[in-house]
Amino acid sequence: MTIAGLCVTIVVAALILYPLVRWRRRDDALPPQFSTNNPLEIAYTVIPLLLVVVLFAVTYRVEAGVERIAPQPAAVVEVSGYRWSWRFSYPGTGVAIAGTPEHPPQMVLPAGQTTRLVVVSDDVDHSFWVPDFLFKRDAIPGIRNEFDLTPTRTGTYRGECAEYCGLEHARMSFTVRVVSPEAYRRWLAANGSGRS
Amino acid sequence: MSVASVAESAPRRAYPALWLISTDHKRIGIMYVATTLVYFGIAGVLALLIRTQLAAPGNTFLSAQAFNEAFTLHGTAMIFLFVAPFGLGIANFLIPLQIGAPDMAFPRTNAFSFWLFLFGGLTIFFGLATNQGGADAGWTAYAPLSDLAVSGGLGQDLWAMGLIMIGISSILTALNFMTTVFIYRAPGMTMWRLPIFTWEMVATSLLILMAFPSLTAVLAMLLVDRRFGGHFFDAHAGGSAVLYQHLFWFFGHPEVYVMILPFFGVISEIVPVFSRKPIFGYTGLVLAAFAIAGLSMGVWAHHMFTTGAVVNPFFSALSFLIAVPTGIKFFNWIGTMWKGSISFETPMLFAIGFMLNFLIGGVTGVMVASPPVDFQARGSYFLVAHFHYVLGGGSLFAIFAALYFWWPKMFGVRLDETLGRLSFWTLFIGFNITFFPMVLLGILGMPRRVYTYPDLPGWGDLNAIATGGAWLMAVGVALFVANIVVTARRGVPAGDDPWGGYSLEWATTSPPPEFNFTSLPPIRSERPTFDMHHPA
Repeated sequence: MTIAGLCVTIVVAALILYPLVRWRRRDDALPPQFSTNNPLEIAYTVIPLLLVVVLFAVTYRVEAGVERIAPQPAAVVEVSGYRWSWRFSYPGTGVAIAGTPEHPPQMVLPAGQTTRLVVVSDDVDHSFWVPDFLFKRDAIPGIRNEFDLTPTRTGTYRGECAEYCGLEHARMSFTVRVVSPEAYRRWLAANGSGRS
Repeated sequence: MSVASVAESAPRRAYPALWLISTDHKRIGIMYVATTLVYFGIAGVLALLIRTQLAAPGNTFLSAQAFNEAFTLHGTAMIFLFVAPFGLGIANFLIPLQIGAPDMAFPRTNAFSFWLFLFGGLTIFFGLATNQGGADAGWTAYAPLSDLAVSGGLGQDLWAMGLIMIGISSILTALNFMTTVFIYRAPGMTMWRLPIFTWEMVATSLLILMAFPSLTAVLAMLLVDRRFGGHFFDAHAGGSAVLYQHLFWFFGHPEVYVMILPFFGVISEIVPVFSRKPIFGYTGLVLAAFAIAGLSMGVWAHHMFTTGAVVNPFFSALSFLIAVPTGIKFFNWIGTMWKGSISFETPMLFAIGFMLNFLIGGVTGVMVASPPVDFQARGSYFLVAHFHYVLGGGSLFAIFAALYFWWPKMFGVRLDETLGRLSFWTLFIGFNITFFPMVLLGILGMPRRVYTYPDLPGWGDLNAIATGGAWLMAVGVALFVANIVVTARRGVPAGDDPWGGYSLEWATTSPPPEFNFTSLPPIRSERPTFDMHHPA
């Protein structure tokens, strides 16, 4: 998409700049007063039309993949946005992590496995965004939004709220730590029994 | 307004108060334009406050509350008090002149529209004068964030009431434009001989009539929720937060085209004159305007791809399609310049700046029409860059082009060329220094509407560059203001037709007399003034 965009930008910018140089005013003679060219007009309507049809076809396939929901996710995390932090709860395990703007919460996910995220909010609209995962989904009162996530690399990723939600929206961040499935199970066991 | 009296007409000089009760479309148009420029100044100062706060990570120049009010009022003022009404203001001045009419169809309604707009804008800013502060829920004011329980201040109510006034003003103006164009054209001025600017205003008026009632409705519902115990948008009481977004964007996306179609018109007037050729593909250009207007009514939910509550592929497909008629316009302008005789006075420079900037705005727009791209870009600085390339690099540059182009017709004197060119280059460079770093910041993952941000690699530097660009733009605007002052003091009469114009406004005096024309040239094509000067 970016490459297609760059190509179109360069071609059209060149078409704008070329006449400026080639046909800048040199004398007072009136240039030829033509104003139509039907084959050309049809061409510059049909070619962009074909371009966007291709772009839409690509988009449609990619989006279907991005939004596919697995029948049996390995784990489920309920993500609840509130002003101005997040609560990550793991149903059935007793694990729940809630943060504040000063102490952002951390979500732990197993690498290589599919996790279902359920995004909700009880106060105003928020949006769950981890830039490294190339995805965000809104948390809207009255709506349960679900999507699947399969992180492939272990590490810690920064996340933030991407829907303006008032005074401390800027500080509504969190982190996601992706660990090996064994480490994930140990983490669940250690936190689930102990704290809730 | 003192500028108006430079060239002629002693009575105007003698009774400036007459402007306040005038129903002359030219005076209303000039007052409209002047008012929008004052609001632009205020919104520009707010932009400088925003950029200064964001110059460095963890900056404490503004408090969180002040920052949130600043960007809310910046967006509101730029959209509702500057770009959109500037189009209506300049059209007020131009439409009767371009179609050879003595005035608008409903002159007193026209005056009412203007005053409603002026006081609507003041109403929005009155929030700052209360002890509860201005509106701070963003220009979109999504419920439930804008509900009373969360945004308790009077500023939010005043914001909604002011916008309702502006909405009604716009609807009345649209009715006025359409009636004027359909009924009051001079003999010989058939629809297919209308200047492109007037055509674009017909399409804009249609959009206003279809979209603005939805704005009035959603704001009225918000006020009912806030002050009269309603719960349209309260999910806990059976309402729907997504409903707000639907109603808002059903207005909000056509509004984008209300802010760009008039300026496609401006560019389509200026490029032919400075290329000394007729506009290329007139019919296609007009049809493209109506294709854009039609499609823009069906793309609103591309603002809601990440809500999980809309059918994304449908809105994605229509959004992609809108690129086709927009592309046609670009090829019309290129075809007009092709084999022309192009000169580079200030209006043409701004028109070229418009094309180059809007190209980036358009291409980034096609990118975010794809939901998987939007899943990453939405709510980030990529989006901020995208719509500023459309409305700042696009509409704002066309506004300057229009001011330089029609200033002689409004006031009888030309703005200074040297200052004009200097102002153009400062603004063009400043604009790109401000907004190109935002493309990159968005890709790095910086969210929009944040008063502070962490010190991540690259974020501080890119933000500092953007802030420098914003101050450079301020210099460019200051040069424009200086130009107005210099021209008002020392401007020499421009004559009736300083550019070799094509449409009828260039066939009358500068400024035009009351009721516009003492005689009309024969209208035998879409370029009557050109025909008059170049008899076959």
